[in-house]
Amino acid sequence: MSVVQIINRRDVGTLASFTLQARNELCLADPVRLAKGRVHEATGDSSDMFAILTASRLSGPIIWIGLTRNIGSLAPTALQDFIDPARVILTEGISRSEVLWAAEQALRATCAECVVVEMSSGPNLRESRRLQIAAEEGGGVGIILIHGRAHTSACETRWQCNASNAGENSWVWALTKNRKGELGAWQARWIKPKTSGGAYEAGVIHLAAATAA
Amino acid sequence: MRRVLSIWLPQLPLDLRIRKGDLRVSAPFAIISEINNAWRLTHLSDAAESVGLSSGLSLPDARAICPDLLTHPSNQAREAALLRALWRWADSLSPWIALDAPDGLFLDITGCAHLFGGEANMAAYAHERLSDMQITSRLGIADTKGAAWALARFSSNEVKVALPGQTSEALSALPLEALRLPQKLSSDLRRTGLKTIGQLMEIKSAELARRFGLALTQALSAALGHEPDPVSPKAADPIYAARMTLPDPIGLKGDLLGVLEQLTASVCRRLAKDVKGARRYYLTVRCVDTGDHLLHIGFARPTHEHRAVMQQFTKPLDELKIEFGADWFRLEAAHIEPIQPFQISLDQHKQAEVDTSKIISTLGNRLGFDRVRQFMPMQSHLPEREFVYVEAMDQREPVSWTAAPRKRPIRLFKRPERLVTLEAGRPPKRFQWRRGVYSTHVAKGPERLTAEWWQTDMGAVRDYWHVQTTEGLRLWLMTYPGSKEPGWYIAGKFS
Repeated sequence: MSVVQIINRRDVGTLASFTLQARNELCLADPVRLAKGRVHEATGDSSDMFAILTASRLSGPIIWIGLTRNIGSLAPTALQDFIDPARVILTEGISRSEVLWAAEQALRATCAECVVVEMSSGPNLRESRRLQIAAEEGGGVGIILIHGRAHTSACETRWQCNASNAGENSWVWALTKNRKGELGAWQARWIKPKTSGGAYEAGVIHLAAATAA
Repeated sequence: MRRVLSIWLPQLPLDLRIRKGDLRVSAPFAIISEINNAWRLTHLSDAAESVGLSSGLSLPDARAICPDLLTHPSNQAREAALLRALWRWADSLSPWIALDAPDGLFLDITGCAHLFGGEANMAAYAHERLSDMQITSRLGIADTKGAAWALARFSSNEVKVALPGQTSEALSALPLEALRLPQKLSSDLRRTGLKTIGQLMEIKSAELARRFGLALTQALSAALGHEPDPVSPKAADPIYAARMTLPDPIGLKGDLLGVLEQLTASVCRRLAKDVKGARRYYLTVRCVDTGDHLLHIGFARPTHEHRAVMQQFTKPLDELKIEFGADWFRLEAAHIEPIQPFQISLDQHKQAEVDTSKIISTLGNRLGFDRVRQFMPMQSHLPEREFVYVEAMDQREPVSWTAAPRKRPIRLFKRPERLVTLEAGRPPKRFQWRRGVYSTHVAKGPERLTAEWWQTDMGAVRDYWHVQTTEGLRLWLMTYPGSKEPGWYIAGKFS
């Protein structure tokens, strides 16, 4: 919050480099940051929650793209704990090429700050580079949920997201690939915010360093 | 001197059924509509009138009088469409026509009647043509709109002509209702013993105005022609379409785009001038060998942006196979809606909305608008019926979601997936699902759900368990209690 205020006041100077960085990054919870205008990959059984929590920190529509068999199971009743279900625009493709085309179009649109793409196997180098270029144009965050195997790709980061049995809404997030920065693993926990007047607020994510990398 | 022809179509909804070949009209049959929360008869067939029914009767009363009564609800949109069709037909009589909804037309026939051999012949001709079309009509011709209206409805003949300058004589015998007065005013007048317009005309208008208000004297003087009451013609609905016929067929993509460019420019310019936008555009391409091909595109919000239309048409044009060329093109804008202009630079929220609808249009035009959808809440306690999908293209009010009484999974499998029980229990202690083996750490349940009582085919009673596995995954297990084969299913996956 404080970072945003600094940008608004244009109180640059010593903080110039810091604000520039903050403007292009989305802070999930310190120290986990996702670069904007980039595509990130998420694998594991709780990768969809990683995408939803990212989306809860952004505004505007969430374009959720995938094959019918993958995105057909998304249920809005539970989504409303995290985001406003009306933000979700489900886009069904009938083939991998349609999904990739829709993802490219959505990433290129400036209005969609969060684009989630579900794929049964990860994008290859060529596909991911195209998506990456589209994301750079649009400036949003792209998240690819990989249900099967991930391949070598041009994506910025790759996250292994698994549910943890430490309690409700707790996961282990392991950063297994990072093009700019260090790897790591965190025990993440989401705490429901006290909603005021029906507005959807992003909850607090608590992170603790975990060894399971 | 103006001359006005009033056409009254007293049985318009019934004529609509007759024209459709509805056989019920020969039996006791009535058109009904809901008036003040009660179904009432509005139009009756001859057979229905002969058994003693009258219009305005409520449906239960009518059924009590005539148990065999057949009815049909009125369809105002259809009736209005028929009236509009007749409005176009009336062009053959006079170019100056106004609609008198719901069941009449006014024609200014000044200087037209001699073409039909006089006013009486003209009226007879119109009446005959209408009965050819199986439409009952009554016509009146007079100097004023009010008088023509009154003659059409209240004269004893089906066709009545009041000669020029004889309006007051023609009106004097007609009842007060012929002045088209409000219900209360005419009943007030009746109570004072006044019955015909002739009686009213004998009284000084100042006295009438003092006793009954200006509405009465105004209606009277308009009917007699002392006050102007012109026929204001209805303008035709604009058609936003453009057509191009070429001397030689073309087939190259650049040429096609050039044609499309000119057509869209023409259509969009006219739309923009009227501050309107279209949600759909249809392009007909007539190939010289394979005939007409219809291409269409849609937009999430009405638009008249030339470039957007061109851009969306590129893909369907690419897919079109033209072998020997096409020489006839027509672009039509449909689903016309007014668009509100707004200031882009100051309203960032609005701009984002426009961008969102642009991306919805782009995705929908390629994938199909039924595959770009959003969630909509439904009132049900069954997890699979708590929501429906609606097309994101439809503009709708913001909806409010209510929290589920119990925790619901983020992934809900429409068809629960069967699991393999490795170690039995309630729920199973160890089980295999998809490619993983899980063991139950904590289980909460059961949550028993049954189908709504009015749903007979929604399946059996189900028990749901919220299971936290040792491996971390939180699953929603389901079983059908009391069934012969106690199988366990995965119904969903929690966050």
